[in-house]
Amino acid sequence: MTRFLLGLLLVTLLQTTLAHRLGVAGIRPDLYLLFLFFLSFRASPEVATAMGFLLGLYQDAFSGAPFGLHAFALSAGGFALSLVAEGVDASRVFPRLVLLAGSGLAVGSLTHLLLHFFRLGPPVGALLTVVLPTALYTALLGAAILGARQLKARLEVRL
Amino acid sequence: MLLRVILRYRRAVILSIALLVSFLFMTLQVRQEGPLVDLVERGLVLTVTPFLKLYAAVTGTTSRLWANYVDLRRVRGENLRLQEEMAALREEVRRLAEAGLENSRLRQLLDLPAGREFDLVAAQVIAKDTTNWFKTIMINKGSEAGVQRSLPVIATEGLVGRVVEVMPWTAKVQLLTDPVSSVGALLQEQRGTGLVTGDLGQTATVKYLPLMAEVRVGDVVLTSGMGGVFPKGILIGTVTATHRKSGALFQEAAIQPSVDFGRLEEVLVITRERGAGSPGAPGAPRGGDR
Repeated sequence: MTRFLLGLLLVTLLQTTLAHRLGVAGIRPDLYLLFLFFLSFRASPEVATAMGFLLGLYQDAFSGAPFGLHAFALSAGGFALSLVAEGVDASRVFPRLVLLAGSGLAVGSLTHLLLHFFRLGPPVGALLTVVLPTALYTALLGAAILGARQLKARLEVRL
Repeated sequence: MLLRVILRYRRAVILSIALLVSFLFMTLQVRQEGPLVDLVERGLVLTVTPFLKLYAAVTGTTSRLWANYVDLRRVRGENLRLQEEMAALREEVRRLAEAGLENSRLRQLLDLPAGREFDLVAAQVIAKDTTNWFKTIMINKGSEAGVQRSLPVIATEGLVGRVVEVMPWTAKVQLLTDPVSSVGALLQEQRGTGLVTGDLGQTATVKYLPLMAEVRVGDVVLTSGMGGVFPKGILIGTVTATHRKSGALFQEAAIQPSVDFGRLEEVLVITRERGAGSPGAPGAPRGGDR
């Protein structure tokens, strides 16, 4: 629990202060989703749901989004990710990346849908200009982290 | 019995509760009926704000130290250049003083009010929006420093946006590039008025410009002062492209904001326009000059 709260604080600090420096054409990676993705492999669906809810609340508190928007999307995302993660081999990188990109698309599309429901609707084109690039960018960052972890593990084995 | 059912279906129960509470929060906030929602949001922000302020202080000090070091290396050459420039500026000051005196005499003759002055609160940007859907920033000044909802926010380069949420020690500012922001605009040369709205990109668009107005690339766009939120005459940006759709009643123009929002570190909140009361009514809509 303490590690999760520290992680939540760190992710919030990184997303609010440094993520914009990683922005490409205004698109920044979603560190909250990335954190939830890694947590979902270790947590049960109910715990992942609660974690997604709290992560989403923090994401909403530091954005112009209606409070609860990302809490909704990440609760559903955490639940689904954890369920799917049970059937994914955690040692293989490629399926995990596909899962991360897929969850990015699903969470982004759900957010888009909710914004439309509350009449704050971005255009349908935002699915291509915001949702898709954010999901791909987040997946790329996830690939870099997974790659670094594997490299570290290999080096430790050799040493 | 009930507990047993809840435990058996705990996954579905927890998911349902999380989704329901989130949906309730959203509904209450969109309807602006959520003191409870505001309380929860403020609580969450408060838990992170000290760390954000610490980070801003550390990075601010580091960049200042680095800038001082770099400046020191440049200072000798700069000194010579400045001495030459100072001589030229002395002459300029003398000329402007003359112009100033002439200006005040003419104003008295025409009975025009003197140039506007604002009461400002300087603030530091401590956080940027966590999503790619909205464009907001958080500043390190709140209601304790006199910041109120709907007050205009500027930088040295021009308009930044307006305050949309106020907490005791922080405030959330909606940038003019935010998709739900709208600012009454005026073309400096053509004097045509329109509405600047943000989008999901880095730029903004002036909508509802009259078809008769001859809008050109490079035209300067200022705040129109209509809507009562933003004072008139603040620089918004310059026109980068114009769009006329056949059959449309108005034309549009893409603009490049004068403020580089990616590098924004300090802002000024206009708390009062001297002689004109408080700009930005506290009850003004969240979108701006709609």
